[in-house]
Amino acid sequence: MADNMDHAAAIRSGSEEGRRLAGTLGAVARGDREAMADLYERTSAKLFGICLRLLGSRTEAEEALQETYVAVWGKAASFDVAKASAITWLAVVARNKSIDRLRQRRPDATAGLEAAADIPDSGASAFDVLEDAQEGERLSDCLEELEDRAGQAIRAAFLDGSSYSDLAEREGVPLGTMKSWIRRGLLRLRGCLER
Amino acid sequence: MSDDRDMPGDDALDRLAGEYALGLLEGDERAGAVRLLAADEDFRQRVARWSGRFAPLLGEVESASPPPDLWARVQRAITPGPLPVPVGAEGSNVVQLRRKVNLWRGYFAAATALAASLALFLVTRPDAPAPAPRPPEAPLVAMMSAEDSAAKLVATYDPVRESLIVTPSAGVEPSPGHAHELWLIPADGKPRSMGLFVAGGPRRMAVPAPMLAELKPDVTLALSVEPEGGSPSGSPTGPVIAAGKLARI
Repeated sequence: MADNMDHAAAIRSGSEEGRRLAGTLGAVARGDREAMADLYERTSAKLFGICLRLLGSRTEAEEALQETYVAVWGKAASFDVAKASAITWLAVVARNKSIDRLRQRRPDATAGLEAAADIPDSGASAFDVLEDAQEGERLSDCLEELEDRAGQAIRAAFLDGSSYSDLAEREGVPLGTMKSWIRRGLLRLRGCLER
Repeated sequence: MSDDRDMPGDDALDRLAGEYALGLLEGDERAGAVRLLAADEDFRQRVARWSGRFAPLLGEVESASPPPDLWARVQRAITPGPLPVPVGAEGSNVVQLRRKVNLWRGYFAAATALAASLALFLVTRPDAPAPAPRPPEAPLVAMMSAEDSAAKLVATYDPVRESLIVTPSAGVEPSPGHAHELWLIPADGKPRSMGLFVAGGPRRMAVPAPMLAELKPDVTLALSVEPEGGSPSGSPTGPVIAAGKLARI
């Protein structure tokens, strides 16, 4: 496997690697199989890392990664270089596939229904942010401004795939308390990021 | 910030979009958000905006190498053929094959004849993908077993699809916390992982391109028991429960 690119470098929309990857994704959108192989070689370790972190099991992470690239092949045309960097777009597709699996894993009343529904891919189609290196710092600063536990809970949800009930259990607080921490945190976070 | 009651409708919707983007919702709440996502463009954009806001966090996640056969799996899944390959599942021709294979499970004693008929099936099956540019080589088969082990498997190399079809006939059961890993042991004696074998039925396992040249008669295939996720060291760490040499049919 060739070296996977450095995420931070790729995310800088102006970087050469970022531009190259966006070009590759454009070729994939036109059905270019060689470009697809190139894309896989350059991004699979990053995306597998994301699937593995969220799912915890190699077998499931492999399946999620496969679904991710199949989805990318099918809808690379919806990638908009003006709205997101290619690596971010790919990373969010991988994360969405992993979360879909994670939430379908648990038996509950709606599991069957949910599995049957074709979950539309939000997030993969459009971003209204232009990321650059500063974007990450900005997010970290804003998360730090939140009350400790809300910031940590939001990070854990996004990076580890924790649900409300996971977080409430971990912190030893009632579900409703966790929900109100995070809901307050989300709106404050939005305010901070838009400042 | 206010509590729920003072919240204007837009904020409530945006908050729900944030919760969905974070993946916090479960059960009915998640199902409701999924329905909204399908129906409401505004909600979809809100979720997309939240995903974009959080996306920089993914930069912190460490990379990990996927198994070498994964690219072949992706490639198969995106290659159009006479039968569509469902996402996240094996191709339906494999399902068909599995049915045939199931017919002769348990007849391990007659394995040679069976392997021969499987090979014939592989070469002649009607829904084979476009032929490889070079003429296919002969299929290979290995009967895998070991002393002190109930496990018995037949592994057949399908040169057309550059994959191994591994069919357990006995003694390979899924076990929580453990995985089965298939190894190729060439003349140099150093085992190379062919990937995890998921117990429960016959499996098609893509052969990583660099290992194709190693698949020849007298090379040993072995199945070991490893911790969940596979051998942490890259070499077998647990007991080998079945092994056998590849031979031409």
